[in-house]
Amino acid sequence: MSAKCNALVCLGTGCQSGGAEEVLSSLKEEIDRLSLGETVQVKQTGCHGFCQRGPLVVIEPEGIFYSKVSLDDVSEIAKSLLPGEPPVDRLFYREPATDTPLPHYMEIPFYSKQQRTILRNCGHIDPEEIEEYLAAGGYQTIKKVLLGMSREEVIDEIKRSGLRGLGGAGFPTGRKWEVCYKAQGPKKYVICNGDEGDPGAFQDRSVMEGTPHSVLEGMMIAAYAIGAQQGYIYVRAEYPLAVKRLRIAISQAKQKGFLGKDILGSGFDFKIALFQGAGAFVCGEETALIASVEGFRGMPRLRPPFPAESGMEGKPTIIDNVKTLASIPVIIDQGAESFARVGTEKSKGTVVFALTGKVENNGLIEVPMGMTLREIIFDIGGGIPDGKTFKAVQTGGPSGGCLPESALDMPVDFDSLKAAGSMMGSGGLVVMDEDTCMVDLARYFLDFTQRESCGQCTPCRLGTKQLFDILNDITKGQGRPEDIDLLLEISEAVSTHSLCALGKTAPNPVITTIRYFRDEYEAHINEKRCPTGVCGMLET
Amino acid sequence: MSKVTLTIDGLDVEAEKETTILRAALDNDIYIPHLCYHPELSPSGICRLCMVNADGEVVMSCQTPVDQGMVVKTKDPEIDRLRRTSIEILVANHHASCRGCPGSGPCALQKIMAYIRIDRKRVRRLRLPEEDLPKDQSNPYFDYDPNHCVLCNICVQTCEKIQGALHVIGRGIRTQIAFYGNNADCQSCMECVARCPVGALTAKESRSTHG
Ligand SMILES: Cc1cc2nc3c(=O)[nH]c(=O)nc-3n(C[C@H](O)[C@H](O)[C@H](O)COP(=O)(O)O)c2cc1C
Ligand code: SF4
Ligand code: SF4
Ligand code: SF4
Ligand code: FES
Ligand code: FES
Repeated sequence: MSAKCNALVCLGTGCQSGGAEEVLSSLKEEIDRLSLGETVQVKQTGCHGFCQRGPLVVIEPEGIFYSKVSLDDVSEIAKSLLPGEPPVDRLFYREPATDTPLPHYMEIPFYSKQQRTILRNCGHIDPEEIEEYLAAGGYQTIKKVLLGMSREEVIDEIKRSGLRGLGGAGFPTGRKWEVCYKAQGPKKYVICNGDEGDPGAFQDRSVMEGTPHSVLEGMMIAAYAIGAQQGYIYVRAEYPLAVKRLRIAISQAKQKGFLGKDILGSGFDFKIALFQGAGAFVCGEETALIASVEGFRGMPRLRPPFPAESGMEGKPTIIDNVKTLASIPVIIDQGAESFARVGTEKSKGTVVFALTGKVENNGLIEVPMGMTLREIIFDIGGGIPDGKTFKAVQTGGPSGGCLPESALDMPVDFDSLKAAGSMMGSGGLVVMDEDTCMVDLARYFLDFTQRESCGQCTPCRLGTKQLFDILNDITKGQGRPEDIDLLLEISEAVSTHSLCALGKTAPNPVITTIRYFRDEYEAHINEKRCPTGVCGMLET
Repeated sequence: MSKVTLTIDGLDVEAEKETTILRAALDNDIYIPHLCYHPELSPSGICRLCMVNADGEVVMSCQTPVDQGMVVKTKDPEIDRLRRTSIEILVANHHASCRGCPGSGPCALQKIMAYIRIDRKRVRRLRLPEEDLPKDQSNPYFDYDPNHCVLCNICVQTCEKIQGALHVIGRGIRTQIAFYGNNADCQSCMECVARCPVGALTAKESRSTHG
């Protein structure tokens, strides 16, 4: 092993649940015991994305990647760090198909096809040490902005980058900022949306845990551009580690003078407070989120007015997703043109997905916009496990659509997903194999949305319940011949007339499963048969 | 305030500039189905039934301001089709027949059903609720029947300005109006009962009310 190295132990939520904390402390002890303290630095990091293989230990600069590390492996890893010792090959990642060991991070297909921009620091720096963020070039862009760019120049830069919001709707970020910049009023707010209520999602959590300072820096730049003095980070109370690391980051940033009064002598004042939401899924919707920060029941409000004009307490408010904000320093650093070189014509930069379901490699990935679903699922994801075949992929969380095999070669971006009947959402990507019943799947998602509807508006409250009840009947063999048309009719009413995007998107799983897998509906209804055998009670 | 002229269903209508399409229509005796609009309250836009076609676009009339030269159609096949489904869903979930309902007569839902000529056969395609929900009779002056409630929020918005004794609770299909044990706060002004567009809030029979 080389003279000086870092042993990085992932302390993301996933690896912690596998015992990474014990691995970290024991590795520190071992390194001390072997008197390697001078040459080996043992550090904690945020999530690398490959939580499924955790706990992970990475040795840098070589990039040696140890997976599924347990307490029993620690002394061997420590010993391998002695000069001249070989690495511990039994802990290498092995390619599932061929069993070939792949010692290095970047040889593993899960990583080699990724382009980690938003996640660039995740897994490489200690998120609880501002010094590490600074050493990685952090807080350079807020300096650049405060000391050398006008507010208009910042907005122009973000506009030219083509960045679109990564929280759901894909609205152009620069345009939103411009509206807020132009809105009148001395008091404005920046809110970071870290609610992440989609079941199973962990994209935003990983960013907040793995590189909290990137989020703060993005918020600072946003605040400067629009003229806000106060920021809020809305984070789920169920994310204790993210809360802890954001707290540490805020206090360290204050100490270093990046937050507070007259930041870097520029005259710009900005504070950030944490708001812990214990709210429902709908609280992630921007107007509901604002209502909940204001102390009201988290229910969406009519738009217009949009928050950028009248948001928190009626003041102009920018509300952006965690990943959107973490992209801002990258744009300021690289320049808009360089950022816009990645991606498709109308969707620039990269996108973070939580790749889950029936796919060999589960985890958090970041890819350029425009990569095909096939590359994501089969190259990065390693394909479908247990020799099964691919059936469908659902993107965008519980309101996303289910896309079939024929969509696999579609380049993934905001618009192509939408055209196919799905959406980018906040970056959920669930793979389904041949054993999945598509009617049952639609029923599952509608069960979620009908329960999470805030209950305010008629089409969403009652329409999603009707959709669920009908799907439920169909899976029980009680479907009626007219039900497919009825589902489509209700779906149209719900998606066109609901007040907020929860209702507007909730029918997507129904519409797409009918569009792409209609024969399964017909089998359930007409033959009382579930082709996959999931809805068992049917066969009579 | 300045006035604008628009046409609604071919009729020239004059309205104040900031007025909504719904208000301009109702002021001119043109009916548009609606449940959550009340002239004294700011529009909440939650019943989603008041759609019209304004200059070729389907919009909610209670939240869309009038404009000079605007052409509004309150009926067309597309509107009828989309609105019909929402109304049918509402009716299917309305665990009640109008016969003997305390709201019958001035009931806004009855009026809507008559207006669109509700087709009971189409309603029966939908799934009907299995059971009646229990009434809340804990308020000393009036009762709340969730089976009749269309969740227009008018009562809550009304009381917000008076006493704040009414609240929305629950989510999804379980959403309801509740007193939250705040009955002591209720001033028995009966404004909520008077404004309830259906028969969900009704005065207790034995008590005399303040009108
Ligand atoms: C039901 C619902 C839930 C949402 N949840 C989230 C969420 O958890 N995080 C998020 O960033 N945006 C969420 N959104 C989208 C927000 O309303 C908003 O569009 C987003 O925060 C804007 O940020 P962006 O421009 O960076 O995407 C949700 C929207 C809806 C309708
Ligand atoms: S669409 Fe659904 S979640 Fe959104 S306001 Fe209406 S009832 Fe609430
Ligand atoms: S009677 Fe008056 S005070 Fe009592 S709940 Fe109704 S509106 Fe509020
Ligand atoms: S009780 Fe009446 S006024 Fe109140 S929400 Fe229900 S229908 Fe509307
Ligand atoms: S938590 Fe360690 S890789 Fe995700
Ligand atoms: S009257 Fe317009 S939404 Fe209810």
